[in-house]
Amino acid sequence: MKPSMLSVEGLKTAVSRLPDDALSATRAVALANLDEHGLPTVRHEDWKYTDLRPAIDISNRWLADGALGPTAGDISATIASATRSIDADWLVIANGTIDMSYFNSSRGIEVERFSESAAPFVMDRPLADLNAALLQDGLRVRVHAATEKPLGLLIIDNAHSGAAVSQANVEIMVAPGCDVEIIEYQTSSGRGDHYANSVVTMDIGEAARTGYVRIQERRIGHVQTGRLSVTVGKDARFAMASYDLGGGLVRNDVDIDLGATGADLVCNGLYLAGDGQHIDNHIRIDHRVGPATSSQEFRGILNGRCRCVWNGKAIVHKGADGTDAKQANHNLLLSEHAEINAKPELEIYADDVKCSHGTTVGQLDEAALFYLRSRGLGKHEAIQVLTRAFAADLVGRAPVNAAKTLIAARVDARLAELTLEPTS
Amino acid sequence: MLEINNLTARIGDTEILRGLTLSVKAGEVHAIMGPNGSGKSTLAQVIAGHHDYVVTGGTVTFNGKTLFDLEPEERAREGIFLGFQYPVEIPGVNNAYLLKAAVNARRKHQGLGEIDAFEFLKLAREKMALLGMDTKFLNRGVNEGFSGGEKKRNEILQMAMLEPKLAILDETDSGLDIDALKAVAEGVNSLRTPDRAIVLVTHYQRLLDYISPDFVHVLSEGRIIRSGDRTLALELEEKGYDWLREAANA
Repeated sequence: MKPSMLSVEGLKTAVSRLPDDALSATRAVALANLDEHGLPTVRHEDWKYTDLRPAIDISNRWLADGALGPTAGDISATIASATRSIDADWLVIANGTIDMSYFNSSRGIEVERFSESAAPFVMDRPLADLNAALLQDGLRVRVHAATEKPLGLLIIDNAHSGAAVSQANVEIMVAPGCDVEIIEYQTSSGRGDHYANSVVTMDIGEAARTGYVRIQERRIGHVQTGRLSVTVGKDARFAMASYDLGGGLVRNDVDIDLGATGADLVCNGLYLAGDGQHIDNHIRIDHRVGPATSSQEFRGILNGRCRCVWNGKAIVHKGADGTDAKQANHNLLLSEHAEINAKPELEIYADDVKCSHGTTVGQLDEAALFYLRSRGLGKHEAIQVLTRAFAADLVGRAPVNAAKTLIAARVDARLAELTLEPTS
Repeated sequence: MLEINNLTARIGDTEILRGLTLSVKAGEVHAIMGPNGSGKSTLAQVIAGHHDYVVTGGTVTFNGKTLFDLEPEERAREGIFLGFQYPVEIPGVNNAYLLKAAVNARRKHQGLGEIDAFEFLKLAREKMALLGMDTKFLNRGVNEGFSGGEKKRNEILQMAMLEPKLAILDETDSGLDIDALKAVAEGVNSLRTPDRAIVLVTHYQRLLDYISPDFVHVLSEGRIIRSGDRTLALELEEKGYDWLREAANA
């Protein structure tokens, strides 16, 4: 018996219906990988706390129904409103289909489709294989000069009814010396069941600087798995921050490869979870040479019945002397039913390194709560103020300026909802 | 304004207030003195509504309303202000934000609209000047990294902005150098009006050199064992608390 119950027969049928194009060969390789390995289960160490069965169930139902796009529902209004929320040039992938009509600027950026050029690299990782097998088409973006506006990547889905699955795949190359800001915005709507699976691959050229913000605001109940793989070049800086505000089952894998000297990485994240949410952030940073610096800071605010996972792994390879790696994870649990599985991990094979990690899990400060109430703030308002303060620093440090206002507003709105739920 | 009758309260299993009776009228300044552990801070916290303290008997009314029917924030909006002995540091919450939110909570309760941003700033600057506070404190986290004296000045600033009907200042003088003490006293004195009452909770009579109380009460083992005018404070300074306790137990 295969370790995963994903219907490979259904998958083969679905893949056979996709057009014969530049992606056909990789689809076949990915399909063979999936046939052999299946999807990971909770028996895999990296998937101990995150059970992919909801994703598999939705996929199988979708495959059994003929693997069609969403049955109905026009999402152009939703796209228009999302693309208006931040002043950026937007590449849109709606229900797995590329939509270039919101992309205006071409200065400094070249975009082409995989189908018109070459297939993506096959990673031989189960979810990336699933992505490659079912991918309609992907985008290859080259940033070769500073851009006027940030580059936006809107991955948006609507599941009107039944079950639907979508794939998104984008490769971004930032040329040496370039400064660019990028926003990945993932959102979904609709009463149906939905599973979105994305792969974003980035290559940051020598001495380039990239700010990357990821906002995840999927409907609570929808499933998302996403992989972000980044290679940071010599003396380059990559600063990212993710904001997980929605989603039912969410798994983010972030792999960052520091393969050249002088690389500087900031990898931060905020997750806000309430009843029925499961948000898992798995980070892996490879320090291959030194000197190079990496700093991770993740914060979570959890209420109701929910579970979050943070696994921050940094591997300092042999010879990567002069590495400076920091990890921090802080959690605020507002309910006794909320669960956090926090695991800092440092594997060090070099001699001259500076590494630190710290994890905290705590409750709201009762003394601060009383202090605020004694000044006339209602209990709910006081809880909102304190949770907002806990999140504020990470919101303020969002590495894309144009996204800060939206992030602050959405974080506030989510906290207002979240803190209304019973806190016991 | 404030009528406390035979109040008893405990924290955990420890009975702290054991039948305390006190009447405070508008325009009056009362000083409550007493040795450590006599229940001074407990009284302040019970009036503000701290949940750790369990009221086991007696009544407290504030302008005719039963205090124990009100949540801490409702008491504040009704016009009760507690100046904390140990003001809490709240990193990430802007001092100006708290001041404004507090002022607006009170105004909303009074059926008024939110304070105009310009008006707010003008008022805050004015009060800060009076207290000798730099306006940079407005943009810092609430009490974050403040020295002891700065925290106490910040409490008085909040009081000055909120213009409470009843202010209870818990050991506001502790840890202050003479300049800070004078500034704080000046802030308090500027709020002495015929429609406002102030209760000073203090261990030493030093503060009373700068704020002259109408009444002085001595608290011991959870009860008021002696009341008098300001000369009682001077007498305590000279003789300590023991002679009163002995007299009370006799």
